[in-house]
Amino acid sequence: MISSLIPTWLAQSPTIEELDSKLALDTQILTETFYFWTVVIMWLIHVGFMAYEAGAARRKNIMSTAMKNILTIAVVTPTFYYFGWYIYGCFQEGWPKSGHASPDAFEGFCGATAPWSAQMGPNLQDHVSAVFFLAFLLFSWTTGSIMSGALIERVRLSAYLVLTAVLGSVVWILDAAWGWSSGGWLTTRYGFHDAIASLVVHGVAGAFAFGVLLNLGPRIGKYTTDGLARTFRGHNTHLTLMGLMLIFTGFYGFYAACLVIQSTIFPGWLNIYGSPTTLGAIAFVITIGFAGGFTGGWFASKGDPFWTLSGGLAGVIAVSAGADVYHPSLAYLLSISGGMLAVWAGGYIEKKLRVDDAVGAVAVHGVCGFYGVLLVGIFAGGYPTGINNVPTSFGGQLMGMMAFLPLAFLPGYAISWILKKMNLLRVPAEVELEGLDLAEFGQDFYPEFERVPEIIIEPDGREVESAPVLLDAYWQTNGTPKTPVGVGERS
Amino acid sequence: MFDAFPYDEWGEDVADFWTFGGHNSTGTWILTVLGFTVMLVAFWGFFILENRKLAHQADRLKASGALDRPSTTTGPEA
Repeated sequence: MISSLIPTWLAQSPTIEELDSKLALDTQILTETFYFWTVVIMWLIHVGFMAYEAGAARRKNIMSTAMKNILTIAVVTPTFYYFGWYIYGCFQEGWPKSGHASPDAFEGFCGATAPWSAQMGPNLQDHVSAVFFLAFLLFSWTTGSIMSGALIERVRLSAYLVLTAVLGSVVWILDAAWGWSSGGWLTTRYGFHDAIASLVVHGVAGAFAFGVLLNLGPRIGKYTTDGLARTFRGHNTHLTLMGLMLIFTGFYGFYAACLVIQSTIFPGWLNIYGSPTTLGAIAFVITIGFAGGFTGGWFASKGDPFWTLSGGLAGVIAVSAGADVYHPSLAYLLSISGGMLAVWAGGYIEKKLRVDDAVGAVAVHGVCGFYGVLLVGIFAGGYPTGINNVPTSFGGQLMGMMAFLPLAFLPGYAISWILKKMNLLRVPAEVELEGLDLAEFGQDFYPEFERVPEIIIEPDGREVESAPVLLDAYWQTNGTPKTPVGVGERS
Repeated sequence: MFDAFPYDEWGEDVADFWTFGGHNSTGTWILTVLGFTVMLVAFWGFFILENRKLAHQADRLKASGALDRPSTTTGPEA
């Protein structure tokens, strides 16, 4: 009976070619599904940034702070679609092209990134391009969100939106083309290695934000005439810490999306440069990176809750560049140093440089982003990176840092300078004193809760009512706050 | 059962359709230019709308006297 069925079964069995075709399709759909879910998880980064920054804002600036994060999506998405992705696809060899031999791992990729190409629309034959684009788009939002926290409580929303579009759709994606792609000239020529984007996302966003902060200036009353820093108390520290935890959750999606998987073409996981790695290796490093970062942040800040959690972020950023290479024990030690570095750098930026970075973004993302790339040069020198197998080296890492520092800082500084000259960078001083929410939205966002006097912490630790202090600061500058940055008597 | 599902045939029909045509078509170009233009107008709108709100509120606050110079100050701090 059964033997009589075998010829029928054999006749119905697919050929090897048909099986190959089905396997290829299944693999593409697996890739598509993988990146889709990384995008979903990465949304949590933006939920987190919104909560984090809104919690750090005073009650009078909650919605104006959150709206920046929301509208980041509204402006970075179309700009990235219309020209950002094209920059990534077509500028990997530098601009103008350097003429060096740079093998293209994905031939024809440049043409596929134009908004009118077949890959940038509905396409039944292509399961990968759209989700790959979306993963990069989420990285772009992240760069904007990194900057956004630094500028809160005095930047104009519209000015921020222009700055974030430039950062998210030009600056970071150009540096990604150069140093975070299979054909990027920094990698194919110098072995530049930044596997999970310590510098290309975090460091660059921090440097850009620093340039903007120099023109934006500190919040009214942030510094005494002696140049000593006061502390503004955020309206909800729990919200800030919850936001940071959401960012951490989203980071797992971010980490995963930094890898390439297409198992019928490659035998396994690759990093962005085309070098083999595993999802487990990077998940190991991010997890132990948080542990080390929290520890470093805790001890360096003597247990400050904000800096303990920010230290976790800084720790992960410090080990991200080498997350595909590091042993977990090494990652633990390095991330402790990253968490501590962020605390010290944050204090230096606030108290010595007198740059009012409201959430420590320059220290956590900027300083630790550059630090992470430097660490790869020290601890992973010789690792063969990319499709040319160029050994990673301290010099190659320095080359990347020297390329990206001006690439990030100068546009941030120049564009914010132009906006400042046009009086479009900062809200009027009167609006800043009253709070941006009433001017922008005409309402208080805790209507059922009684208003209590806002508190400010003086440099000597005294908590005083802020209204007279801020009003005094407003009048001492004739209503036009131009508190100089890095100038004045220090004590 | 699934082998009998006419996905390929339907897929070809669908691929011929896409809104306003496929890649590099005139329709796609027009849509791209329109979208890009709307994006630029939105940027301009963000500036205009916000500037109007901020200027109005700043004028109102100045006129209200709420920010008049205090009679006594808290010290040599600014």
